[in-house]
Amino acid sequence: MTLRCLTPLTPLRWYQAGAALVVVCLVVTATTCVRRSAATPPTNDLLIVGYDREPDTLNRFSTHILEDIQTCVVEGLTTTDEQMKVIPLLAIEVPTIENGGVRLRTDGGMDVTWKLRPGVTWQDGKPLTSADVKFTADAINGPNYNPESTDGFDRIGSVDTPDALTAIVHYKEIYAPYDIQFIRGMLPKHVLDGRDIDRAQDYNRAPLGTGPYRVADWKAGEYILLERVAHYWRGDEYPKIRRLMFKFIANTNTRINQLKSGEVHVVALVPWDKYREIAGMSSIVVHKTAGNAYEHVTLNERQFPPFADVRVRRALTHALDRELLTKTILDGLAPVAHGPVQPVSWAYTNRITRYPFDPARARTLLDEAGWKMGPNGIRQRDGRPLAFTLITQAGFAIRENMAQAIERQLRDVGVDVTVQLHDGTAISAIWFEGRFDAMLHWWQMPSDPELTTFFAADRTPPAGRNINYYQDEALTRLLYASDRTVDREERTRLLQRAQQIVADAAPEIPLYSITRLDAIPSTLKHFKGNPTNTGIFWNVHEWEMK
Amino acid sequence: MIRFLARRALQSLPLLVLISALVFLLIHAAPGGPLAIYLSNPNVRPEDIERLRRALGLDRPLWQQYWSWLAAFAQGDWGYSFSDGRPVAARIVERIPPTLELVGTSIIVAIALTLPAGVIAAVRRGRWFDRTTTAVAVAGISLPAFWFGLLLQIVFAIGFGWLPSSGRTTLGGGDLIDHVRHLALPVTVLAVVQAAAWSRYLRGSMIETLAQPFVLAAHARGIPARAVILRHALRHAIGPVLAVVMVDAALLASGAVVTESVFAWPGLGSLFTEALARRDYTVLMALLMVTSTAIVLFNVAADAVHALVDPRIAAA
Repeated sequence: MTLRCLTPLTPLRWYQAGAALVVVCLVVTATTCVRRSAATPPTNDLLIVGYDREPDTLNRFSTHILEDIQTCVVEGLTTTDEQMKVIPLLAIEVPTIENGGVRLRTDGGMDVTWKLRPGVTWQDGKPLTSADVKFTADAINGPNYNPESTDGFDRIGSVDTPDALTAIVHYKEIYAPYDIQFIRGMLPKHVLDGRDIDRAQDYNRAPLGTGPYRVADWKAGEYILLERVAHYWRGDEYPKIRRLMFKFIANTNTRINQLKSGEVHVVALVPWDKYREIAGMSSIVVHKTAGNAYEHVTLNERQFPPFADVRVRRALTHALDRELLTKTILDGLAPVAHGPVQPVSWAYTNRITRYPFDPARARTLLDEAGWKMGPNGIRQRDGRPLAFTLITQAGFAIRENMAQAIERQLRDVGVDVTVQLHDGTAISAIWFEGRFDAMLHWWQMPSDPELTTFFAADRTPPAGRNINYYQDEALTRLLYASDRTVDREERTRLLQRAQQIVADAAPEIPLYSITRLDAIPSTLKHFKGNPTNTGIFWNVHEWEMK
Repeated sequence: MIRFLARRALQSLPLLVLISALVFLLIHAAPGGPLAIYLSNPNVRPEDIERLRRALGLDRPLWQQYWSWLAAFAQGDWGYSFSDGRPVAARIVERIPPTLELVGTSIIVAIALTLPAGVIAAVRRGRWFDRTTTAVAVAGISLPAFWFGLLLQIVFAIGFGWLPSSGRTTLGGGDLIDHVRHLALPVTVLAVVQAAAWSRYLRGSMIETLAQPFVLAAHARGIPARAVILRHALRHAIGPVLAVVMVDAALLASGAVVTESVFAWPGLGSLFTEALARRDYTVLMALLMVTSTAIVLFNVAADAVHALVDPRIAAA
């Protein structure tokens, strides 16, 4: 073990070998670079989607992230269209009281009859039957499977299957969003019966569905490739595009760069601050969809008691020039929001109190609430300054800019705001435990306009998402009443009244309604977009390159 | 030498156990757990969170969780990912080849840049080459990898359209040329940043060595200057630099986190970023233990290489 070991290859030769290798690599790269282009144009053979993360699982009931990829493979009894309307998919119609599909029982429960579309088969050729609907409800309610959520399923007492195409779901109580109960699809009984679904990797990595695509390949960390099925139930002419590739590109800048270089063709949910970079590209169209989410400032009145005074909350809302904020920071791409229900929802009303930018009114309200201007420009009462911390997610440029603007505008009326940034996972834990004064964030609202979990007095964490800790018994009664009716007119009336109460009380500051931006090839036809978590691929079978 | 290596490896075992305990505490102390990600879905209710907590074993006392993890890990059972339910070992093993490909190539290129830059800068100290390489090296050390990576993408992928901006292969590709094309930009980032640092070490070490009496003696014996520099001085000067290279290589082998993220490279670094964001404790623990073991082993290997170059080390 001496220096002799090294003599066959001296440092000089190591260096020469290394240099030679580098030269060879450079030559190979350079000569092939000029011949090959990195871009591949979108065609009916292959459409490449730049996706912001790798899914955890393709089992729609287990995943906790958006279900874009799953939507192409696994279909539900219903889906939501581009206007957030619930439409039938594997059911022949959406059950309602009017069409006899929903029957209210005298014991306070309800029965929903689903009629399945005849002739639909799983991708392995086995027929889809009502036994699959029953199996899905039983598996989700059973002890051997841990889906993301059992919401709604836990209110199902039993499922009857009088024939192969009829499933009658017996609810123990009235459940208003019954129409989207099976929107995530069905679990195939013949594949999963008797198995540990959490560990059924064959299904969870490549689920069997009834959709237009099947999973052809999942390369960890790189992509998921979907391939069209031979016989889709809508007809062999669907889907029009043969393969869909979802490339995982977590870094937003890289994703946009890939779009610009033509290496990916579709980028869903383009951040607003990237809009100008790609808006001028002739090969790309940025499709805008009015969204069902709203950015707002949550005011936690339990942690910061001054927020319990309605005059303070109204003053803060008046103090923000939201028109200016959306025009500048969001490039005018998202409209100002005035409440938790967005115009795309059937329950929306614009007959609510609005708070235009009015700093003079804000100052008056704060004066009335006893918060007098102090010598340092910060208001105070009983020797305590009107100062709070605003938390928001780090690494999200728009939120960071928005938080700074809010800090500046509230300072003008004598309110001292300190902005604190946290990573996405940490911030979830912080708000769930209620350890914050105010938070800038959004809620992606369910397609069913339920407000109970966000505003009912007894739905503060962990029981719900009322993180304003806002307490209003009358509103709470109204919200629960809206959950216990399936009469659309009555429900609309109750939910619109609830929106008026929320707007009057201003328990949070609505900022803007989320507009979805999806970048697609200018040659792609029949793209419709979607404001819900169903995602933009709900009608992917129609998509076609012209 | 074998006894020397065995002794060093054995000494490392208690260190690794200590590291595992500290790492376990640290990742559990970070705010939010594996279930935090579910909270933003309003349909996930407290009952669901409790059910999932029990299913993942997170309802047990921390020491119990650590002990059962350690006992299983020691027996080769790395558990299942909290995020996708797959075996942790499978998730890590599939990410090793891409990382080795990226990091291995980067280290070779970086060494190929380091040797001439460091040696010539030392020999021609203060001249134009030295000043230029110093400026380039300072820039290289200061360049944030993410910024440099995006800049390369804009120039070579979007501007010229010569190279793919990210990813490891093209669908249907995967031949050698396809790999080289995908490697070009991330390797450039890693190699330039590493070579910038390493060439500074080599320059310093060479300047020190060139002033040693044995170098003067070699010149006096009439050995050609080129041979004195490359055979005598460089062999002496390269020892400390190799130790730095080995430790840096170990860190890189555990995943070039930023570079992999910018170039969507499916290696250990991307897996680490993803596991951290999702607080996937089992994957994080396994990754950090693999990293720690790699660093310990590379340190032992660095000692061995140093001992090969300088036998006094092994004798000590």
